[in-house]
Amino acid sequence: MDTLLSLLHGFGVAFEPSKLLFCLIGVFLGTAVGVLPGIGPALTVALLLPVTFKLDPAGSLIMFAGIYYGGMYGGSTTAILLNAPGESASLATALEGSKMAKAGRGGPALATSAIGSFVAGLIATIGLAFLAPLLVELAVKFGPWDYFALMIVAFVTVSATFGDSPLRGLTSLFLGIALGLVGIDKLTGQARLTFGVPELLNGVEVTTLAVGLFAVGEAFYVASKRFRDPEEIIPIKGSLWMTKQDWKRSWAPWLRGTAFGFPIGALPAGGAEVPTFLSYSTERRLCKYPDEFGKGAIEGVAGPEAANNASAAGTLVPLLTLGLPTSATAAIMLAGFQQYGLNPGPLLFAEKPDLVWGLIASLFIANVMLVILNLPLIGLWVRLLAIPQPWLYAGILVFATMGTLAVNGSPAELTMLFLFGFLGYLMRRYDYPVAPMVVGLILGPMAEQQLRRALQISLGDPMILLENPISATLLGIAFLALIAPFLMQGLNKFKAAED
Amino acid sequence: MTNDTRTQGANKPALLVGVLLLIVAALVGYDASQQTITSTYGVGPTAMPYVVATGLVILGLAHFVVAFREGLPQPEHADNKALLWIVGGQIFLIACIALGGGFILAITVVFACTARGMGRQGLAIDAAIGFVLGLVIFLVFAKVLTLILPSGPLERLFL
Amino acid sequence: MLTSILKRTALTAVALAALSTAAFAQVNELKIMAPAAPGGGWDGTARSMQQALTTAGIVKSVQVNNVTGAGGTIGLAQLIGAKGDGHQLMVNGFVMVGAILLNKSPVNLTQITPIARLTAEAEVIVVPTESPLKTAKDLAERLKADPAKVTWAGGSAGGTDHILAALFAQAVGADAKKINYIPFSGGGEALAAMLGGRVTAGVSGYGEFEGQIKAGKLRVLAVSSSKRLENAPDAPTLKEQGIDLELLNWRSVVAPPGLSADQTKALIDTVEKMAKSKEWQEILKARGWDDAFLAGAAFETFLKAEIERVSKVMTEVGLVK
Repeated sequence: MDTLLSLLHGFGVAFEPSKLLFCLIGVFLGTAVGVLPGIGPALTVALLLPVTFKLDPAGSLIMFAGIYYGGMYGGSTTAILLNAPGESASLATALEGSKMAKAGRGGPALATSAIGSFVAGLIATIGLAFLAPLLVELAVKFGPWDYFALMIVAFVTVSATFGDSPLRGLTSLFLGIALGLVGIDKLTGQARLTFGVPELLNGVEVTTLAVGLFAVGEAFYVASKRFRDPEEIIPIKGSLWMTKQDWKRSWAPWLRGTAFGFPIGALPAGGAEVPTFLSYSTERRLCKYPDEFGKGAIEGVAGPEAANNASAAGTLVPLLTLGLPTSATAAIMLAGFQQYGLNPGPLLFAEKPDLVWGLIASLFIANVMLVILNLPLIGLWVRLLAIPQPWLYAGILVFATMGTLAVNGSPAELTMLFLFGFLGYLMRRYDYPVAPMVVGLILGPMAEQQLRRALQISLGDPMILLENPISATLLGIAFLALIAPFLMQGLNKFKAAED
Repeated sequence: MTNDTRTQGANKPALLVGVLLLIVAALVGYDASQQTITSTYGVGPTAMPYVVATGLVILGLAHFVVAFREGLPQPEHADNKALLWIVGGQIFLIACIALGGGFILAITVVFACTARGMGRQGLAIDAAIGFVLGLVIFLVFAKVLTLILPSGPLERLFL
Repeated sequence: MLTSILKRTALTAVALAALSTAAFAQVNELKIMAPAAPGGGWDGTARSMQQALTTAGIVKSVQVNNVTGAGGTIGLAQLIGAKGDGHQLMVNGFVMVGAILLNKSPVNLTQITPIARLTAEAEVIVVPTESPLKTAKDLAERLKADPAKVTWAGGSAGGTDHILAALFAQAVGADAKKINYIPFSGGGEALAAMLGGRVTAGVSGYGEFEGQIKAGKLRVLAVSSSKRLENAPDAPTLKEQGIDLELLNWRSVVAPPGLSADQTKALIDTVEKMAKSKEWQEILKARGWDDAFLAGAAFETFLKAEIERVSKVMTEVGLVK
């Protein structure tokens, strides 16, 4: 009951006109930068930090929260329309979303992602308000062995992106894991696979690989078959808005996506990628129209997008309750708090209830503002696809370059973008799926580090993975998920034989 | 059309991918063998590379098997001229940034070359569009976000 | 561009000669490089300098640019390449000393012109409140008995936290080579490992653990500074507990090599003026950074000593061979 009263009080703070204005500026900026590939919410908040120095704490924190949520909304736009995921969390959205956009269903794809984000954001923010203390107790219990087991679950589900050849899917995945080895080994600090090139010490940037393989690779591919088999992009086919059927197919993925995103986002090393992958493969398994997957199934956009947004809210759980920044943006928001001499953590709720509850209330308001801001924009965004194809693809390459240069302005990084683009082209030509490679790059290093930390703590005893209930359960799930398809096949054969 | 890349019953692209995978595996394995620093506890920085290298060897061998069976999917004919335009634009971009030619010039060329590769005939107009695009992006980054994109002589006029 | 720099440098020199009685030499424009991505600590320092320098009216135009990669050593190489440019500064710090050794960087900090140390942060060694360890001595005993059983959580390998853990082991007479140090990405994850009771002790900058310390979830065994911290007067220093060790995570600014004495003086004067300004002091307070201003020759001596100390301990721990 206390929580409810505090929250109501928070709404009192957040509804002050000046706070509403900060919130609006925040969501607007967040959406604008989220749309640009490479420039995520973390960078925006970092750059705005000195500007907000003179503002009052509540106002500027509310603005940062608006940017954070706005960035998560905006990220899906480029992923769907241009097949250029601006951050690793919108990778799964790009898989089905870009296919929908090319088939003239960009409107419904953007709509289901906006409304899904809204639903997820709403539920997750309620979770943040009411469950945060409980959830955080659980979250800190997660040890390296548990994270390792979670990564293994995520790895198993990657097979959903393999397409029709497991050999080519696995090849793509293993090359991704190999790329993940490049750079400084986090646990010993020594260089691996850098061949003396200092630019490689920082490793391969996920966005560089994703934008290279997806966007640049596609530009090459489309150009190469322009005369024989011109690709047709249909800006709008059928309704711009979601049909009744779309709604029916979207609501359950939204809820499931939220269920993956919020708790995993709340884990200190959970991140936003794992829940989006889990959501994508779950939807693919549960979908009533499995044939549509890979060609633009709306479930494949609705689920991951909800998971992405819910994990963003989940990240705020450890930030507010423990002062634990678990994402780049959260780390910078923490710096924002500290700029005003505030230390997020157990004491903050007691010392500055106005500020914390005002912030949480603003998240609700930001969420509503975002859906109102984004839905009318859909018509405008979709029209981007009506740009003549040569200009559209030229523009995509310009944006890809810009994003890469803004984050890491070196010729080496551009060279990598180009090489990955060409690799993406060759892979498309011979029908190798590109998504598993990016997944390998994201999950490989995470799994390796967590396993090595676990074994460092256990002094090399691998039994630690099975002795802990959470990791043992997760490994069990991974094992079941791995053998389930074979079991099903056997069962079907058995049934067929009986008939 | 379906069988023209098959020589002596083997599918060339699949063989090539197999060989490439073995080369990558060798590189990963060699690099791991050169590591001097190991962890005192648990597994060291070489364990994962060896696992990956082993996986790549298996996948490489599997490609050889595939080469003598169904092979890789037959790709469509590629328009190399179109590709060359875009590749040329990208190479110019990298050189331009590396040699200090600046962001705006690089973007101008990338835009024009890509549009040309995609089949537009109007290099001058496209270059003009690219120039404006590059200029606007550069100014927005410099003035609004205080991020300076790579600058050459042209960019310094605006700073 | 080059000629304009030369011209400007020449003009500055002439102006300096003419105004040799003036207290401060003037620099009209500055470029500050942050050798890391936007948003990090060095970037924050560079942008704060930009803010202080321009709002206090010390330098008219200040530009910040980011050069990412390899623990800042790519930025360092670029700075060394800008030989003789009296309008270029770069932010760096203690972490770069280790990164140079770890990455076997071809360039190092003896090749640049040191300008000034700006800020410093003390490190703390903490344990979860329920831990039986009460003092740094207790931790030292445990470490001497079996270094493998004492797991340390902290930041990246070869970073400040790691070096402190190694120096601590050395100072108490334990085998530094055998410390079981587990690097985590970012303070958040290390903190979670501490709170979850997964590790024995944690090392980090004080600021990162402050909230948890004040909430009573973590106990400070020792701070690494020479004096107790204003914010945490109850936490004893290492020295007080008979462990001869002092370490600060400092940040500084440096300039390209090959500067004339006048150019160096102009830059030192400018930075000094900034460090003394009201605007800079306000930023320090807001960000929770401690003023550790040390300029010119004194900073150069300090830098040399730090490089020597870090390379020694990193070799002994086996991080560098």
